[in-house]
Amino acid sequence: MSIIKVDNLVKSFGDIKVIKNLSFMLEQGKCIALLGPNGAGKTTTLRMLSGLMKPSSGDISFSGIRAGTDIRSFIGYLPQHPVFYEWMSGEEFLVYVGQLARLSKKESKKRADELLELVGISESKKRRIGKYSGGMKQRLGIAQAIIHRPKMIMLDEPVSALDPFGRREVLQLLDNLKQETTVLFSTHILNDAEEICDEILFLHDGEIVESGTMEQLNSRHTQSKMEVVFKEPAKKFLSEFAQMPAIETFSFEGNKASFVVKDLDIVKKTLLKEAVQKDWPLVKFEISRTTLEDIFMKVVKK
Amino acid sequence: MSQWVSLFKKEMLEMARNFKWIWVPITFILLGVMDPLTTFYMPQILDAAGGLPEGTVIEIPTPAPVDVLMMSLSQFSTIGVLLIILTSMGAVAGERKSGVAELILVKPVSYGSFITTKWAAMLCLLWVSFLAGYLASWYYISVLFEQIPIVEVFISFAIYGIWLSFVLSVTIFFSSLFKSPGAAGAASLAFVIILSLVSGTLAHIFEWSPAQLMGYAEGVLRTGTLQDHSVSSIVFSVACCIVILMGSTYVFKKKELAS
Repeated sequence: MSIIKVDNLVKSFGDIKVIKNLSFMLEQGKCIALLGPNGAGKTTTLRMLSGLMKPSSGDISFSGIRAGTDIRSFIGYLPQHPVFYEWMSGEEFLVYVGQLARLSKKESKKRADELLELVGISESKKRRIGKYSGGMKQRLGIAQAIIHRPKMIMLDEPVSALDPFGRREVLQLLDNLKQETTVLFSTHILNDAEEICDEILFLHDGEIVESGTMEQLNSRHTQSKMEVVFKEPAKKFLSEFAQMPAIETFSFEGNKASFVVKDLDIVKKTLLKEAVQKDWPLVKFEISRTTLEDIFMKVVKK
Repeated sequence: MSQWVSLFKKEMLEMARNFKWIWVPITFILLGVMDPLTTFYMPQILDAAGGLPEGTVIEIPTPAPVDVLMMSLSQFSTIGVLLIILTSMGAVAGERKSGVAELILVKPVSYGSFITTKWAAMLCLLWVSFLAGYLASWYYISVLFEQIPIVEVFISFAIYGIWLSFVLSVTIFFSSLFKSPGAAGAASLAFVIILSLVSGTLAHIFEWSPAQLMGYAEGVLRTGTLQDHSVSSIVFSVACCIVILMGSTYVFKKKELAS
């Protein structure tokens, strides 16, 4: 079931069209990454989805919510650089925000306690936010986004500002969150998306250039790579072999030969058979697949 | 409603935490007692300052108590007004500039409540501070000069408080309109000065102008009765405050929060 449907979304600032005709649908209960280089329009898209910005044209509709109702009750949002009331303590802020989201004071307090525990800052809950570190603020930001159990949360670059440890923990947290709610987050880091997302939207220059689940993207774009290293120059052994129709491209670099292959099985079999028969001085034989990063580069350069 | 209360409480708490509840009333009290004291002790002050030839006789006629209270009022209308603008110009603009408004308004918060709670909290601070300052002035006048009837003092207090409330509403409006607190403050100050100048010079046309309220407050103190047009001016000013607040909500809603 889709939770949000976006039709022909356009946003321009003056003459500059930042978002050009965006259309997509997001499934409920999934974790979706909005992936793109800096300036692709990720933040603008999220701000429009969260209602902070009005689209120049186009339509955003949430399923199961009548047109005209306040969508803000159903979403949680974390901006890229969250700013809080520095004079409040972390706990006070969460309770306050919970009440704004129409929880009762008691409920809000209970939920705040739970979340402080969940995001791992319960020890500092009485400290003023002004004294929090960047990572703690990011965690508090996630807590405030989910305090009212929204149907969908949108996070703008939730891990970009964190150190490797913080990143791991926050990603883990997001991974757990997708049990309860739909998670949409933007990032320019491929690994983050790859690790926890079911679906990826590639955004480039205000357009979706590619999208799909990890499997779809893989089957559409990944190819097998083969790397063979000899003790002597590789060309001597493989120049004839490289002409096989099952090999798409090849390159020789001294002792190393690399291939991008269409049919891995045939190539592998032939090569290994010959290696045994002719007693080639093999040092390394490696099969790998093109990564998401290769896809990313390919898609963005297109 | 409960959301309005939460927002309002947060404003009050913020003003307590950043000590506005302490230094704004104290400033108003200082403004209030300054004129009664300096007026009363002027001969001694001049004497102590020295530089006068031996045997100089300083004779300053004792001013009427109402005149002294009016001096205090004019302090409130200059420094007091400036203080109100300075303390409230960042109410909305500051939160938008820092980005915290982005976090708050993505929750189902009514824009009207967001603006009106800030206004209401500042209004409390303003009336309390002004009351403290005005009473302090009245007390010192009673001790050093003569007592002014308390009923008239309170009526003039209420009338003049409405003018200060009007100034606050204007500041909240510009704070909603501009993203920079400085711009909001400058625009409010310019607006108040122009309004006072125009209503002052064309007093016979602008009898209902909020800027005339100081004159009507003085009238009550001097004559003991409300002067012509006082009521229309009060009603008009209160109506202005309401319209300005609605306008603030409107312009705030229209603006894109994030840009």
